[in-house]
Amino acid sequence: METQDTPTIDEIRDFVRPHQVHRRAYADPEVFKLEMERIFGRMWIYLAHESQVQKPGAFFRTRLAQYEVLVTRHTDGEVYVLHNRCPHRGARMCMVDRGNSKLLNCPYHAWSFRPDGTLSTVPHRESYPESFDLDDPQNHMQRVKHVQSYRGFIFATLNEDPAPLTEQLGAMTDVIDNLIDRAPDGEVEVAESVFMLEYKGNWKLHLENAADIFHPTFVHSSSVGAARRAPQNASKLDSDQTRTMLEANGFSKEQWEGIQLNGLPNGHTYMSNFYSKGVMVDQDDDPVMADYKARMVAAHGRDRTVEILSVDRFNNIIYPNMVLNAQHQQMRITIPLSEGRTLIRVQCFRLKGAPEEMYQRAIRFLSTLASPASMIFSDDVEMLERCQVGLQSDDNPWVDFSRGLDIDKTDADGSTSGVASEMPMRTQFKAWVEMMTKEAA
Amino acid sequence: MVDMDLRTRVEAFLFKEARLLDTGDFAGWLALYEPEGIYWMPSQPGQTDPKNVASIIYEDHAILSIRVQRLFEARALVLTPMPQTTHMLSNIEVETGEDGADDGIVRAQAAFFCMQYQANDQKIFAGRQSFELKPEGDSFRILLKRTDLLNAGGTLPLITIPF
Repeated sequence: METQDTPTIDEIRDFVRPHQVHRRAYADPEVFKLEMERIFGRMWIYLAHESQVQKPGAFFRTRLAQYEVLVTRHTDGEVYVLHNRCPHRGARMCMVDRGNSKLLNCPYHAWSFRPDGTLSTVPHRESYPESFDLDDPQNHMQRVKHVQSYRGFIFATLNEDPAPLTEQLGAMTDVIDNLIDRAPDGEVEVAESVFMLEYKGNWKLHLENAADIFHPTFVHSSSVGAARRAPQNASKLDSDQTRTMLEANGFSKEQWEGIQLNGLPNGHTYMSNFYSKGVMVDQDDDPVMADYKARMVAAHGRDRTVEILSVDRFNNIIYPNMVLNAQHQQMRITIPLSEGRTLIRVQCFRLKGAPEEMYQRAIRFLSTLASPASMIFSDDVEMLERCQVGLQSDDNPWVDFSRGLDIDKTDADGSTSGVASEMPMRTQFKAWVEMMTKEAA
Repeated sequence: MVDMDLRTRVEAFLFKEARLLDTGDFAGWLALYEPEGIYWMPSQPGQTDPKNVASIIYEDHAILSIRVQRLFEARALVLTPMPQTTHMLSNIEVETGEDGADDGIVRAQAAFFCMQYQANDQKIFAGRQSFELKPEGDSFRILLKRTDLLNAGGTLPLITIPF
């Protein structure tokens, strides 16, 4: 990539046309720097779920914009987000993704910190000058000032003066609510199982792909074809779950035209679900599902249970970094590393109070869709990487997002469309431009 | 005492398995598995639970056969061009303790190394493999093959050809 100057506000605005986006949005390191400042540095960014930092001393390592951070639980029960860096000499402190420790110790000169970032002790205190103050915030692990939880989902922002989290989430709180409502005990926890996948492509490509219902027919045809030719119910392990999942990416024309797409303010999008067969679908002849529904009815009553289980939305994308699937208990987090490198963290949830088999099905869903050996996601990643390679070339700098432009319906609440429209990408880029061109408050 | 004849037969079997993968004879590779045979690649070092903890691969013959069928599909994007592999097995140990004798299952483990080449890009995978083998004539059928990647639990590249 050739070195380019930081794009001006006007240039950024010109990168996004009604039906096109300039390749620099994906391939320019200067644009990426601005994204870290204006999107990942100003918006509320999902970091972790409270179940991952349940007990005092628990910590979880992730990224916020260009910083590595630790989400911690302090002895007073509060959640903190700390920069993973020792204030003494600047050393990176924590080298693991999760754990539990009463104190966070820097291995270099053994400064040790409480989970809220305050400095607990330094060795040989008497050799530090008299003015050295353990309570001086300068000597503490630096806190991210604004941390908020929405029903257990922890978000943080580097914005000095952020809008309320729920304002940014808008109507997408519905999908978080629906996930939690699906637990008979009204609580979910994140499974320890996690897949970390890195691809050589821009972070936006993953979100576009997750909102793109045109591609599965082509990109996933190899796994669809193999699954279609395989006998049904042949596996002793999974009640045909893997095969039906692979098969689900092959749409009939009617199915494909019938998938409704929704775009909301702030770049959020979702679609109607297309995993309409198999063990994770609401059905009566499956004993596990019957057991689950009985527990739901006992907890919520029949009408409310029907209401909860009938919410059938897929790939709920909470812009800019979260993809949630409530009825499959799945979550994918997009973590940008550079303009051409992205980390995807994929996890699933346990619905508390649901039969154990429900959890095991969520685990298999996770493996089938998102393991490094996935027969589905590997083909997606291949295309994301090929896009990034092609976007290095400026022979035609414009990426086309015109499909569906004439059929989308848009009002104040957002847009709806069908027939595999590219409206979700236009929705994402509308928010992108708004965020990227907004002057700091 | 290790039965050297058994050891030789186990080695020959494991080398054959590796050769079938390296030569792209995936149908031949699949045929080494018992119908209830399982291929397991844990996602975590030391993983003991394949049901409540996600695995990179935990598949029986029926699911593996879909995986193998996909390797033959012309439109498998991540397999275009088809990756080529060299599988190396070493440090092979065959367990012939009383446990093995009791249930008739032969257990073996090995260190493995797999170099994968695709479109001018080489990837290296390594780790340990363990096998539960059911004797059949002079050879064996696979009841369980477990592949523990050195970097299980870390950020992994895509895995296409089985190890």
